[in-house]
Amino acid sequence: MNKAQKEPEINPEVLLDIVTAYRRQKWSLIPLVQEIQAEFGYIPPQSIPLIADALKLFPSEVQGVISFYEQLYTEPRGKNIVRVCRGTACHVRGGKTVLKLVKQHLGLEENQTSDDLEYTLETVACLGICALSPTMIINKQVYGHMNPQKIKQLFKKE
Amino acid sequence: MQPVTITINQRVVSGHAGMTILEIARESKIDIPTLCDDSSLEPVGACRLCLVENEQSGALLASCVTAVSPGMIINTNSPRVLEHRKTIVKLLLASHPDACLVCDKGNRCRLRQIASTMNIGFNELEKIPQFAAIQELNPFITRDMAKCVLCGKCVRACREIVVEGAIDYYQRGFSAHPATLNDTPLERSPCTFCGACLALCPTGALMEKEVPFQGTTGSSVRTACAYCGCGCPITLEIKGRRVVRALPTKGDFFSNGALCIRGGFGYDYIHSKERLVAPLIKEGDHFKKVSWEVALKAASAGLNRVKSQFGPDAMAVFGSSKCTNEENYLLQRFARTVLKTNNIDNGSSPYNLAIRSGLGDTTGYLSTTNLLEALEEAELILVIGTDLTVTAPRAAYAVKRAVRNKQAKLILIEPRQTKLASFAHWWLRPEPGSEALLLNGMASVIIEEKLFNAEYVSRLTEGFSALADALKSFSLEAAAKDTHLPADEILSAARAYAGASKSAIVLGPGITCAASGIESIKALSNLALLTDNIWCSSCGIYSIQKDNNGMGACEIGSLPDFLPGYQPVADLTARNKFERLWQSELPANPGLSMAEALSRGKEIPLKALYVVGENPVLSLPQPRQTREALSSLDFLVVQDLFLTETAAFADVVFPAASFAEKEGSFTNFEGRINWLKQAIPPYGESLPDWEIVLRLAKEMGDQLPYSTLEQVITEIEEFVPLYEGYDHQEERPSEKWSHWEERRNLAFQSLAGFPRFSIPDCFSPPHKKPEEYPFCLVLEETLPFFGNGTRSGKARRLKTIYPPLLLKIGTDDAAKLALATGNAVRISSPFSQLNATVDICATLPPGMIALPASFPDAMDLFSPDMGKEKNLPPASFCYAQLERVSLDE
Ligand code: SF4
Ligand code: SF4
Ligand code: SF4
Ligand code: FES
Ligand code: FES
Repeated sequence: MNKAQKEPEINPEVLLDIVTAYRRQKWSLIPLVQEIQAEFGYIPPQSIPLIADALKLFPSEVQGVISFYEQLYTEPRGKNIVRVCRGTACHVRGGKTVLKLVKQHLGLEENQTSDDLEYTLETVACLGICALSPTMIINKQVYGHMNPQKIKQLFKKE
Repeated sequence: MQPVTITINQRVVSGHAGMTILEIARESKIDIPTLCDDSSLEPVGACRLCLVENEQSGALLASCVTAVSPGMIINTNSPRVLEHRKTIVKLLLASHPDACLVCDKGNRCRLRQIASTMNIGFNELEKIPQFAAIQELNPFITRDMAKCVLCGKCVRACREIVVEGAIDYYQRGFSAHPATLNDTPLERSPCTFCGACLALCPTGALMEKEVPFQGTTGSSVRTACAYCGCGCPITLEIKGRRVVRALPTKGDFFSNGALCIRGGFGYDYIHSKERLVAPLIKEGDHFKKVSWEVALKAASAGLNRVKSQFGPDAMAVFGSSKCTNEENYLLQRFARTVLKTNNIDNGSSPYNLAIRSGLGDTTGYLSTTNLLEALEEAELILVIGTDLTVTAPRAAYAVKRAVRNKQAKLILIEPRQTKLASFAHWWLRPEPGSEALLLNGMASVIIEEKLFNAEYVSRLTEGFSALADALKSFSLEAAAKDTHLPADEILSAARAYAGASKSAIVLGPGITCAASGIESIKALSNLALLTDNIWCSSCGIYSIQKDNNGMGACEIGSLPDFLPGYQPVADLTARNKFERLWQSELPANPGLSMAEALSRGKEIPLKALYVVGENPVLSLPQPRQTREALSSLDFLVVQDLFLTETAAFADVVFPAASFAEKEGSFTNFEGRINWLKQAIPPYGESLPDWEIVLRLAKEMGDQLPYSTLEQVITEIEEFVPLYEGYDHQEERPSEKWSHWEERRNLAFQSLAGFPRFSIPDCFSPPHKKPEEYPFCLVLEETLPFFGNGTRSGKARRLKTIYPPLLLKIGTDDAAKLALATGNAVRISSPFSQLNATVDICATLPPGMIALPASFPDAMDLFSPDMGKEKNLPPASFCYAQLERVSLDE
């Protein structure tokens, strides 16, 4: 589980507006939580009772669904999501070192988010671009043939 | 249903389309091991233990979720099946602790049973233990997730059976487990400790928290819960002379896998150290233990003395809404033929009165008109005047199942935010006491908008045009004003009720005990009649009973004005019938009710009293008056399990046996009969109530002609209408319930002039809130504190979760009075005052305050008039005033 240090402000009115639009639509749990996540970057815990009430589900049920999907986050995430590949091809070409270096640069372990909510570090099984290995991805931008130099470049503090 | 024939293990077996392979196999007594399947739950196919092989295709199928198709050839024990099944069990064991020896689940553990029948002990698989902290802070359920096999029964039980939704799966993959919201312990979740999950968990992951290790029990007995009016079938597990566990009766439709916390954990008052072990006689200020002989002699002498000195009507008997039908039958006969008075009553009679006259006047039927299974099929349910999940948990399960799992709509009429509020589609919070106006308002909408069933109304009912005329003068706006509700709320509730094709009504003590109860019930009947929702299937009016035998005690004649079977005392033919039967002249004038008899303090008209299983000191308003009345008596005999507040005044106390120690029947709120079966011998020298009555009558020189319970039952069957054919069978699956049908048929026979509309004669609130007392004070029942706590107060585990003794007040009212949680206040009513600490609470509407029913002396605040007149039910609330006091006052 992430170790988020700073809870971002959640505007309760915005949250309530999103939830209210889905009232009594039991089946729309997934689109609803996706919308909440799109708005706040994650699904804040205080939204669970609201969702449950609006959709006439049980809070434990809502939590169960959210915790089932890896793509739904219950803790705040950084503005930039860094995903380092751990797949076989990347592994044999130094992926492990890439991950180690990225960790050092960000000061984060896997699945952690920085205090200032700038970065979240994750790993993935294979990005599907093994020809470019070792690879990583920041938000939607792909970086291939990583080396210590490039990593330094990417994360240098302005 | 389409018959289907298939072959299982070379045997040809048949069933019908829609059945699963597992169901057919079970019917044919072919054993297939299962972990996640249970007849009370929807199958999910999670454990895969029930694999079978389809010999034609070679496919392995999970038999619990695979429907049969004609001609299937199934093998449940093929080498492939066995191999797979073994692997599954081994995998489960690999992540299971080797704790069998010290596990309280003992031989009840399904996993252990299955492993040992399949010859699996320690196995070659590497152990991958799941580490989890054992959660056992609450006194009911211990959770040890290390033993969880993820069968999901607990999650489904919580969601499908009791619809509490306290737990669900949490996380995925290896870390998945059933959990509450935020994985908190059960005691910090909405869990009500109903025990449904506990009863179904196949392993030691969920266990009843017992102080001593109970393990496997030798025998069990199927009997009935003796707490609330639902009367759930219950199975008691016995070790020696002790009941060590109470479980929902397996395979019984009515309990359907669930009891509530009272039934499942509250039975242990029967083993309380405070039980009376021997008869007692008062000597000076003290009680002395004596033999039965001495006690009976003393009681008989005392009663006979008063009888000859002051005459029969100076004596009274209180039968009990907790005692069996047979015991009440004997008690009323004892009062009428031995003492020769109609002064006989029971604790539930005031609650039954409103329903008897309200429903009786309109439908011609005197109680709940349908069964709970029908309620579950209703399209719309209107719940009024009850915190149903507390008063009648089993009925609440039915309502919640209908709403959450079967898409029924719910109209909730209740000022407090009860648990059902989150299930409600329309939630109306009327001013207490104005319910009848709200309901009449709904009726006038239904008539004005022509939403009623005109065909039914004109063909089969009487009095419609008079009702329509009367309601013309009653506008929606007027209803809105007096109920303090927005008009459109009343409008949409009325449209919803009339719009659904099958609407049912559930009403509780907030109506039956209200001063305007009869009016409200008549108004409810009107609604049901307008829309043809009384006698059709999946509709009807359900009146909740507080006590386990509240219905039976009244029907069987523990009433001052009715002989058995609601035959009026005043009716000569009825009297003659019983005079012939009992060979005794019966008193002709109706007797006194319990409240009438006791609420005049020292001035009461009584000299002697025989109280069986009631505790009027706690159950009547103004305990001071009741105490005075009791101490002014010449002679008092009390018969109970404990030395109750009432027994403290007695001259003679008889120790009575508990529900687990005797036989007999209860009638639940639907009119269903439940048979008690003796599980353990009576405690100490105690005896079943029926036996004591017989002994006392004999001692008084007026032996009643019964030596066995059977004889009493036979007589009731023969002579009490409503109980014809309630015959006594050892095992009676409650779904095969023909007696109930007979009851209903009886109602149809007596339909001359019924059903008819009741014409409301007054459209103003029955009482105005006095200005000096701006609050409505209600006493709130809670799950662990039942009735007045005579029994639940002695239940070790229930006691630990009593609600705090605080005065609840809504947020707005607290702000107005500048009160904060923790402040001390004085609550005054016209009758008394008491101090309490404030708890601000969002569930109460403005103008309402609440004390828990367990609050000492709270009944002091209530009017002594409540329940006094035979035609006036007790009040469900009283008016009160609040003022802040400093803590040291
Ligand atoms: S706790 Fe028991 S009932 Fe629940 S999933 Fe685990 S093994 Fe099954
Ligand atoms: S005890 Fe009842 S309410 Fe609590 S988790 Fe189990 S099934 Fe749910
Ligand atoms: S619902 Fe009523 S009858 Fe059923 S177990 Fe609970 S208290 Fe007993
Ligand atoms: S293994 Fe890294 S991209 Fe495929
Ligand atoms: S019993 Fe069939 S899958 Fe568990």
